[in-house]
Amino acid sequence: MSFLEGALIALLLTLPFAVYRLVRGPTLPDRVVGLDLITTVSVALAALYALVSGQTAFLDVATALALFAFLATLGLARYIEYRGHRED
Amino acid sequence: MRAFVHNVLLAIFWMLVTESFTLANFLVGFAIGFLLLFLARSLFDPTSRRYFTLAWRLPWFVAKMLWEIVLSSLQVARAVLSPRMRIRPGIVAYPLEAQSDLEITLLANLITLTPGTLSLDVSSDRRVLYVHGMFVEDPKAVVESIRDNLEKAVLEVTR
Amino acid sequence: MLTLVYVLVLGGIFFLFIAAIGVVRMPDLYNRMHATSKAATLGVGLILVAVAVFYWDLSVAARALATLAFIVLTAPVAAHALGRAAYLSGVKPCEDTYIDELAGHYQKNHRLESVEVKPPAPDPSE
Repeated sequence: MSFLEGALIALLLTLPFAVYRLVRGPTLPDRVVGLDLITTVSVALAALYALVSGQTAFLDVATALALFAFLATLGLARYIEYRGHRED
Repeated sequence: MRAFVHNVLLAIFWMLVTESFTLANFLVGFAIGFLLLFLARSLFDPTSRRYFTLAWRLPWFVAKMLWEIVLSSLQVARAVLSPRMRIRPGIVAYPLEAQSDLEITLLANLITLTPGTLSLDVSSDRRVLYVHGMFVEDPKAVVESIRDNLEKAVLEVTR
Repeated sequence: MLTLVYVLVLGGIFFLFIAAIGVVRMPDLYNRMHATSKAATLGVGLILVAVAVFYWDLSVAARALATLAFIVLTAPVAAHALGRAAYLSGVKPCEDTYIDELAGHYQKNHRLESVEVKPPAPDPSE
């Protein structure tokens, strides 16, 4: 196993932390923070895989994912703002 | 802005002439183009000439911004890894001096990326920026450090 | 050159781990956002720089640095939008929070005043 493959696996190990926050909450914004971290780690994974595989096309995956993650977070923030007070 | 377009065009022309399309060669072409335009700066109108003063200031600004990001991440790392988390969160009102959209956006982004602070919202009349701090020992000290370290740098670049 | 790539990748993974642990350990939403907006941004940024250094090619470097610039510019905006929405929807800062100068400054219609204003009397026609 090369160094970069090991790095890829190490990066995968951060995902359980984010998933924990996504599942546990306790509020919806907390879940959005977890989701945001998952997509950020995915961007890093795509970029790192571009190194491991030697296919620079994966860099485009990282770019598209970053664009999408930003819009998703903004949309969720808008939703949270306008649905009013709620405990969940 | 026009000077910048000229500069990029010159760099591309340099790559065409030298027949080597690599990053290093683009940077060489950009540097040579900048030097040429700087020698010919009196040919540009005063608004385009801002490019040359900005060209000195902007790299400093970006370098400072990157350094602040590294510092703040290290501070978060220290707080996260210490067994008893010693944090003292608080929300502070920061009176804004910056006026235009660009200035406020830049300042708010920088505040989020710098140690211990996160911008939450701007008041509707643009007078106050509300900042969440992670290590608020003294609200006045937070306001002062933002004013001295960040707002001055932002205003230097935009004005 | 390869050593530099390895150092950058290691640094990126370290900061992403910090962000992940911070998101689990921090006491409330606002402190968690400190972890994701700073440490995670730096972590992804270091890995993208590592890609640019590894290939050392104009088209790759341009794409990597454009992605990096986009992330650095948007991460604070996303944190700001989320923090504001959370505060408006009533997420309380944790008990350790030492001072809250934002409390009572939001109006019913989500306008934010720079000085504290008493909420207006309810409209009798409603």
